[in-house]
Amino acid sequence: MSVIDILTRVDAICKKYEKYDVERLNGDNVAGDDAFARLYASVDLDVESALQKAETASQEKNRAAVVALNAEIRRTKARLLEEVPKLQRLALKKNIAFCEIFLYQVKGLSKEELSTRNDLVLALPDRIQSIPDGSTNGAKATGSWTASASRTEIRFDSTSDGRFESEYFQQTEESNQFRQEYEMRKMKQDQGLDIISEGLDTLQNMAHDMNEELDRQVPLMDEIDSKVDKATSDLKNTNVRLKETVNQLRSSRNFCIDIILLCIILGIAAYLYNVLKK
Amino acid sequence: MTTQDPGKLMAKADKLTKLSFTRWNADWKNATALYEQAAVGYRFKKENEKAKEAFEKASKGQEMISSPWDAAKHMESAASLAKELGHWNEVSDFYRKASELYRECGRSQPASDALGKGASALEDTNPDEAVRLYIDACEILEEDGKEQMAFDLYRAATSTYVKLERYTDAATLLLRWGVAADKCNAVNSQCKAYLSAIIIYLYMHDFQQAQKCYNDCSQVGAFLSSDQGRCARKLLSAYEEGDIEEIKRLAQPSPITHLDHVIIKLARKLPTGDLKELEKEEDKETLDENDLT
Repeated sequence: MSVIDILTRVDAICKKYEKYDVERLNGDNVAGDDAFARLYASVDLDVESALQKAETASQEKNRAAVVALNAEIRRTKARLLEEVPKLQRLALKKNIAFCEIFLYQVKGLSKEELSTRNDLVLALPDRIQSIPDGSTNGAKATGSWTASASRTEIRFDSTSDGRFESEYFQQTEESNQFRQEYEMRKMKQDQGLDIISEGLDTLQNMAHDMNEELDRQVPLMDEIDSKVDKATSDLKNTNVRLKETVNQLRSSRNFCIDIILLCIILGIAAYLYNVLKK
Repeated sequence: MTTQDPGKLMAKADKLTKLSFTRWNADWKNATALYEQAAVGYRFKKENEKAKEAFEKASKGQEMISSPWDAAKHMESAASLAKELGHWNEVSDFYRKASELYRECGRSQPASDALGKGASALEDTNPDEAVRLYIDACEILEEDGKEQMAFDLYRAATSTYVKLERYTDAATLLLRWGVAADKCNAVNSQCKAYLSAIIIYLYMHDFQQAQKCYNDCSQVGAFLSSDQGRCARKLLSAYEEGDIEEIKRLAQPSPITHLDHVIIKLARKLPTGDLKELEKEEDKETLDENDLT
């Protein structure tokens, strides 16, 4: 059994027995009881998915697909940034609504946990902003802008235009190189294409000449054809007549008589030769 | 029989053919056979003069017994021997005679072949005669509707004309070539012929003629829309603008490189003479155009 087979089988088995996975269910349940944890988990999930989309966008060749993916990422980022204040409030709250049964879990929202939650929430906007969506370029000071921008504004370019000037010089260094490389490659391609076109022209000319030559030879071939037909019919004729003649010869006894006479003459000649030799 | 001395055979054959008191009818059949053998014998011995004579007589004999095909064949052999001997007028005479005999047989292709061979033999020594032979050969083929075969002859004739520097004749011949190509739907050859004609006119520095030629040829739709037509258009417009670089650039790429090498040489030398003259002439033209009276 190959490794792939083993893997597929393991996957199938896991899927089948998913519902018995206590740990996972417990994890879900735990998150389910705590509003903050729930929200945080969902935000986390969204951030992860957005990062994945950014990955695919960076590897995508189709420009239109890249643009669409970037737009989606920006929308997700905007939505997540809206959730961040909610999370902040939740982090500070001590959620004791559901702690009756799972007292030990939530009531003991110790100081450390509170601080960690705070840190997590504070780190979240940065994480969200750092998701590449096709318009950021190592920008750092995101927090201030997003805080001042109103939420209802349609963010066309989420890393805003004001910063464009400061980034301008950074961009042109890289893009200059890129542009040069692009020009060089374009020149090389043009040269190659020129050579190809010359070759194709020669081929076209040769093909035309061959065409004309073949046209020239068609009537010649027809002539040859008719002449050879005539020759074959003549030959057939001659063959038939020859066959008749030979049959005639064979049917009569002339042939045998000829052979006998020939033998007699040879015998006489041999006799004479012997006699003369002596 | 073959070991017999060709001289003896000749003598015998002559005796057979000479009418004398005792002989009222010349016995051409036997004589011809003897002449042929003698000719072969002489050729084997490399006595070209005598072989040539023998072939001539053999051919005459064949004519007499009315087999023009063999007669023509012998004439051709005689002509090739004359070529080796260097009797150039004899060469042309023999080849013409051979061609006529072929035409008697009704076979036009060998007839024009004979003339073609004669022309190529005479190209170096007597090019005028050579060209005449080429043109006659082309005419024979065209009469018979076999223009396709004439292309090679046209090509050879054009190169001979260019060598003689008779450019107008060359251009006229090219246009005839174009007509022949048209009849057998050989579009590529036709366009090439027209382009070559235009180039020759430009080489002769005769811009008006070139323009006229281009306009005439544009009547043919195939030429207008072909690569060659486009190249001609660009060439003429470059000439009008007096742009030497453009002309030189145009002479490089493909439609011209596919033409006959003689024409390519002319095209490479292209712009000949002073382009300013052309401009002056053109100004006169524009004045005429503006003159509406």
